[in-house]
Amino acid sequence: MVGSNRKRIDVIDKVLGKPVFAGDMKADRLLFAVVYRSPRPHAWIKSIDVSGALAQPGIVKVITGEDIPGKKRFGVIKKDQPCLAEGRVRYVGEPILLIVGETENAARKAMSSVKIHFEDIEAIRDPFTAEKSGTLIHEDGNLLGHRKVIKGNVERGFAESDVIVEHTYSTTWLDHGFMETEAGVGYLDDAGRIVVVSSTQNIHYKMKEISRVLGISEDMVRVIQSTTGGGFGGKLDVTVELFLALAVYYTKRPVMMRFTREESFVSNTKRHPLYIEYKTGAKKDGSIQAVKVTIIGDTGPYISYGETVCLRVAVHSTGPYEVPNVHADSRMFYTNNPVCGAMRGFGVPQLAFAHESQMDAVARILNMDPLDIRLKNGLRKGSSTATSQILHDSVGFIDTLKKIEPFWRERKKSSHTSGFGIGCMFYGCGNTAISNPAKCHLRLTEDGKIALHSGVCEIGQGSDTILWQILLETLKIDEKNVVLVRGDTDTSSDVGSTSASRQTYISGKAVYEAARKLNRYLDEKGYYRGRSLGDICEEAMTENNVIFDGYFDPPTTQLDKETSEGAPYATYAFATHMTEVEVDDKTGVCLVKRVHAAHDVGRAVNPRLVKGQVYGGVAMGIGLALMEEFIPGKSESLDNYYMPTSMDMPEIEVFIVEDEEPTGPFGAKGVGEPALIPQAASIINGIQDAVGVKPSQLPCHIERLKKLIEDKKSERRQEP
Amino acid sequence: MKKIDFTLNGKQTILDVEDNETLLHALREKLDIKSVKEGCSIGECGACTVLIDNEPHYSCLTLASKVSGHDVKTVEFLGDENLLHPLQEAFITYGAVQCGYCTPGMLLAAYSLLLKNEHPTDTDIKEAISGNLCRCTGYIQIVEAIRNAAGLCKCNS
Repeated sequence: MVGSNRKRIDVIDKVLGKPVFAGDMKADRLLFAVVYRSPRPHAWIKSIDVSGALAQPGIVKVITGEDIPGKKRFGVIKKDQPCLAEGRVRYVGEPILLIVGETENAARKAMSSVKIHFEDIEAIRDPFTAEKSGTLIHEDGNLLGHRKVIKGNVERGFAESDVIVEHTYSTTWLDHGFMETEAGVGYLDDAGRIVVVSSTQNIHYKMKEISRVLGISEDMVRVIQSTTGGGFGGKLDVTVELFLALAVYYTKRPVMMRFTREESFVSNTKRHPLYIEYKTGAKKDGSIQAVKVTIIGDTGPYISYGETVCLRVAVHSTGPYEVPNVHADSRMFYTNNPVCGAMRGFGVPQLAFAHESQMDAVARILNMDPLDIRLKNGLRKGSSTATSQILHDSVGFIDTLKKIEPFWRERKKSSHTSGFGIGCMFYGCGNTAISNPAKCHLRLTEDGKIALHSGVCEIGQGSDTILWQILLETLKIDEKNVVLVRGDTDTSSDVGSTSASRQTYISGKAVYEAARKLNRYLDEKGYYRGRSLGDICEEAMTENNVIFDGYFDPPTTQLDKETSEGAPYATYAFATHMTEVEVDDKTGVCLVKRVHAAHDVGRAVNPRLVKGQVYGGVAMGIGLALMEEFIPGKSESLDNYYMPTSMDMPEIEVFIVEDEEPTGPFGAKGVGEPALIPQAASIINGIQDAVGVKPSQLPCHIERLKKLIEDKKSERRQEP
Repeated sequence: MKKIDFTLNGKQTILDVEDNETLLHALREKLDIKSVKEGCSIGECGACTVLIDNEPHYSCLTLASKVSGHDVKTVEFLGDENLLHPLQEAFITYGAVQCGYCTPGMLLAAYSLLLKNEHPTDTDIKEAISGNLCRCTGYIQIVEAIRNAAGLCKCNS
């Protein structure tokens, strides 16, 4: 079962169009709620007049921040974000009030009758201004976080280097672009409890936020995950959940919300724009001696996952290489731009663009092959990372390079403007340097089956199927005897978020642990000697608490406050992508023609699902490298935010490396984010190989690339 | 308000629609066909794709009143639990489905292609689904599924 291409357990319904997404739900007397959002980036709210909106036909209730019965702020890391604005707005799109109507039309129409008087405050539009400005977005200043990674002595490392390469890189906002926009339905159950069914990546977190904001106990709140049409980090933060809970609290009726695409663009968290100054020192033989990285990030006005990204980018800043002397300095500033949060990779795809461009730049100066320099410096068993963590197990990075090696050595340019690039990455699976456990339980049912109770949010990536395969493999039982009870805070324990490429590794291990206990119980009861499961279940009903818990928390250490020394993750995934591009040097069009992608996943529980992740990651990497750019006020619909279509996709060959992780279920780690992380870097290096220009800004879209090529041509002409 | 008379998944259907009502709205809200998804409402994502006379159309940009006298198909036409269409089988076998939100529209675009072209090249397939966005799969396994269904499927029958 583990290692097989078992079909997804939800797939038959999905090809029939049957799954009920949140926006497909129905209820009697269903109301619809919409959010009135700030049109100003930074302003005091002097007055709010909702009388006009309330007078509109079909309007049931208008809710402002003053109506919130419990805590008024929420946040996944710190509770800093107003649920509804408190006298001040800090970004375009900030929720100010909620309008609940009999129909969607009525609610949307009433928006134009709301009268709000704003008094503008200077808007901080970039982190450099934020650092210097006297305008404070929050009382305690505009700096959200500052993290450092220090190892060895970086100045000595540069002094001992034969070559030094220094460049600056920058990236921009990206949207998750999940096909299903944020949506949910809330209602009161028969016991008078608040129930919210929504498209989400973490039900337990949202249940707790609702309890805080309504000021009611957690057992009066139930959150259920509806079929979720993609997440990519964008459904980790609260989207519709608190609004639905408030609307139900006040109206006592079922309420639906569904963001329009434009509202999704404006309201959803974005990938962090990062400015990266990167200095690398190396010996003549290609061994990297020192890396100094300064990262400045624009996190928008609220924390969301900004602190997480601030630390994760510093920890991953050297890439998958052993560097004896490191100084990484990462700062995140508040601005009045969109709130930035979690998006597939937590900042690491941006860093991969920088560290992989640097590796190629060093190789070029030393006249070394890009693959050879990576083989020379790559992390392997016994290596020490930037945080001085010694890697003992499951370090398959060199193997990913070796999978690519034959194709790299035999590469041949098909034209004078085609080129090949390599991108590599490592990525810590799970949350950074904190406890992040998962729990689950197995139960014998009255009708003679085994029920797996799981709180894992399946968002399309296939986690339900992976847990299913791990369960069946461990129990050695036919799947007709097993049922999955999932995605509901009433029936499951907290597993943490579907994020950080952690569910296969952490929840998978929790399922394995529970299944091992049940396995022993079934053995004692004679199941494996021929006694029927129905018989055992019947006997179990007479015993108390025949429940088998599974729990796993990956072993990590806290990081030193000054140097970040420590073991932030129990295990890392590794990958190498090699990409062939064809550039039209007149128009700046870059075609991605072929990708070879090698991933160390520890163990592929389902190779086809692993490949599905890699293919999707390559697509998102093409978007990151060449086309996707969210510009506030401009690219707020699918009309002008360009995501890859089928026509943009190359041929892709995936190679799975299985260097088993001893703490993972059957040796498995994660792949969701690793699939994306090295792709943009490999395209950018391919562009340099093709046309000899060095892109320093993402996306390197058609106009930027055209300009780089033209600038290079005019430089050449000016040379004597 | 206008009365329209059209064929929906092989059945004659008579419906009152508003003059400015989209086909997407009529299908989802009046006929309860929730497999037709809304992703952008401006004809960019393809999640709302339906077939009109076997050609793919964005139902979010189509006025319901315009389909009177025409044949409209949604994914329900293709198959059911007991008898999946070869395209649906192939989507399962080749891993062409992740979150499932684009899947109904994708299947319909593919079905329309195979009606016209029993042996499409990969370029034909990519072109046929180029109006349908998918954020999860990178399209690779979708193209594989359609290519492999092509040989097996007599869409005309």
